[in-house]
Amino acid sequence: MAYPTATLDVIGLWVGWFLMLMIYSLPLYKENVAYRFAEHLFIGVTLAITAITNFSNIMRMCVTPLMQGDILMIVPLILGLMIFTMLIPEYRWISRYPIAIMVGAGFGLGIRGTIKPNLQDAIIDTITAPTGGGLVDWFNYIWVAVGLVCSILYFMLTYEHSGVLKTPTRIGRLFLMIALGGYFGNTVLFRFTMLTGRAQFFLQVLKLIPM
Amino acid sequence: MSNIFKQEVVYALTGIVTLLMIVEYFFFATNQIWAETIRTWAVIIFNISLFLGAIRLTMSHSVRIQGKRRDWQFSGILLAIFAIMLLTGVAGYISTGVQTSNGIYNWLFNYVYTPLGATLYPITGFYIFSAAYRAFRARNIDATLMLIAGCLVMLKNAPVGEAIWIGFATLGNWVQFTGQVPGMRTLAIVGALGLIAFGFRALLGKERGFYAGGGE
Amino acid sequence: MSLSKLADIDRRVFYWILFIALMVPFLSPIGFPITIAPNTQDLYDGVTGDEVGEGEVWILNFGYGVSAWSECHPAVTVCTKALFREGAKIIITGTHYDVELTYNKLLDTVPDFDDKVYGEDYVFLGYMTGGESVVAQLGSNIASVFPQDHFQTPYDDIPMLEGIEDHSDIAGVLSSDTGDYGGHFMTQWQSAYGTKLAEIGIAMNGSTDLPRWQAGNFFGVSVGSRGGAELELLIGELGEATTAMDSISVSHLLLILAIILGNIGVITDKLGGKN
Repeated sequence: MAYPTATLDVIGLWVGWFLMLMIYSLPLYKENVAYRFAEHLFIGVTLAITAITNFSNIMRMCVTPLMQGDILMIVPLILGLMIFTMLIPEYRWISRYPIAIMVGAGFGLGIRGTIKPNLQDAIIDTITAPTGGGLVDWFNYIWVAVGLVCSILYFMLTYEHSGVLKTPTRIGRLFLMIALGGYFGNTVLFRFTMLTGRAQFFLQVLKLIPM
Repeated sequence: MSNIFKQEVVYALTGIVTLLMIVEYFFFATNQIWAETIRTWAVIIFNISLFLGAIRLTMSHSVRIQGKRRDWQFSGILLAIFAIMLLTGVAGYISTGVQTSNGIYNWLFNYVYTPLGATLYPITGFYIFSAAYRAFRARNIDATLMLIAGCLVMLKNAPVGEAIWIGFATLGNWVQFTGQVPGMRTLAIVGALGLIAFGFRALLGKERGFYAGGGE
Repeated sequence: MSLSKLADIDRRVFYWILFIALMVPFLSPIGFPITIAPNTQDLYDGVTGDEVGEGEVWILNFGYGVSAWSECHPAVTVCTKALFREGAKIIITGTHYDVELTYNKLLDTVPDFDDKVYGEDYVFLGYMTGGESVVAQLGSNIASVFPQDHFQTPYDDIPMLEGIEDHSDIAGVLSSDTGDYGGHFMTQWQSAYGTKLAEIGIAMNGSTDLPRWQAGNFFGVSVGSRGGAELELLIGELGEATTAMDSISVSHLLLILAIILGNIGVITDKLGGKN
């Protein structure tokens, strides 16, 4: 995308630049009026976008088919409107019906979908020994296998982590610490990449680097 | 009698829908029209329910303005921009079926929402930086292992790590592809088992926390 | 100045150091070399060559918003280019409410769109939400989730969607997200139907996605902007992610320096206490 030339677009670019500085005034200076203004502006804008996008979704999936003759679509429309009874304390129980359908579908799909990838595939990959592998491959295989068993034992909270369970659960905790450390390392990349994007935008608007 | 419709029938409905989803998967070779209908309804209900958040937020900010509470002026700004975008977006949708066809909505979407959205989340990067200096202490073996694993992954992710010493990339790769696998796989397995247990509790009507009004 | 006094420095000083340090590499690029990780190589191999047939229909799901553009978009750009160059057709969907912005950005960053015809080579179906339910329903009946595309064209009127009804008509799915939708596609598409699935996720998801790649649930994984830079190197067209890597290097080094400085304080305090 090249630096815009249309007046409204250039104005928009600078508006965005100043809004970015308003948000950055919180960590770089202190909480102030400019930050609170930008924050509330963001919430208002996001609220509107979410509302309209969902509105167009409902029109697309439910209302338009209903108007084209799919009479059954009146049912989810009515069920969806029943959710708003949550705002009226004495009729709040009516909203439980649409919630029951959402929750039931979610749980049913979750249960049937999670067994193969998160249990079966994970366990099979763990217990499958390396074929023709060297010393490093076998070390890694044992590391993952032992680590998995010990880490799962750590989550067995119905038994006290003492006696026979003391050492394996302690080892399991160490494996979990390594995993969390790796997760932290990746989180840092995520957060700093977002910051990098903003640093780049800061310089691009000032035309110090090409857009 | 009325209590049955407020409780037992609701729990039974949850259980039936859960069971139908499971039965479709394990007992039928192809997707069934009755299950597709339920799923479509669930999606539509989910979309409609998202308006609840907008309504609640509008109500709470309106109360703040009425009572002239702290920062009520900002609540006014929030509701004003919300109203402007909503009206212009609906106008665009009505005219062409696409909300961004309205010029004002499109401009606000591109030049107000985009920079704000892209800037608000990254400020946590600053806090990670100060937390790294002030809070990440290798006080015991657990914390030391976590820090070492984190630093190795960071040096693997950043090209400078390999430039300083190729071993950083090797060790970082080992942490990514082997070191952290037992822990992360454990979280996946334990999460899956928890979901299954929670789901069966919902199927049997024992799980009631997500119904409005709790255990009435 | 003793190390313990460093802890008394206002944290805003560190923030300014970071803020400025992030910008310097853009003004004066360094250009550290990048090596390719096996998960990224597998992803690239999976969207190029014999793995993609002419005319195959793929789904590209945007599960990220404007805040994660710098993380996910470079990798998505490369994969889109790769699929187009193999002659595949792409259905673009999104699970983030600002998906239209991301779609417009993709049109901007992938010049291959200039040679492609909307409705014949690619289609933008738009936004969907509903968690696991909507992904499952997409697998069993795409038209029920998208009776029209984002521009209100009826599903049946879109040429490339003729005969495309459910998962069996889709060759593969590329899910790019900041949250759960990659996992939903894994549970509802890959494990249920065996559909080819790859994850182009934020770096934070890398820790959870890499074991899934090793178990065979994903045919490839791109981890954050680093994955994007590796993909840009593989396709031979360097872009935003590669440009950002210098800044990433500087910021990571600063962070590690901060951790080391903070822990030297712990060690010196302990030694001081023992004396």
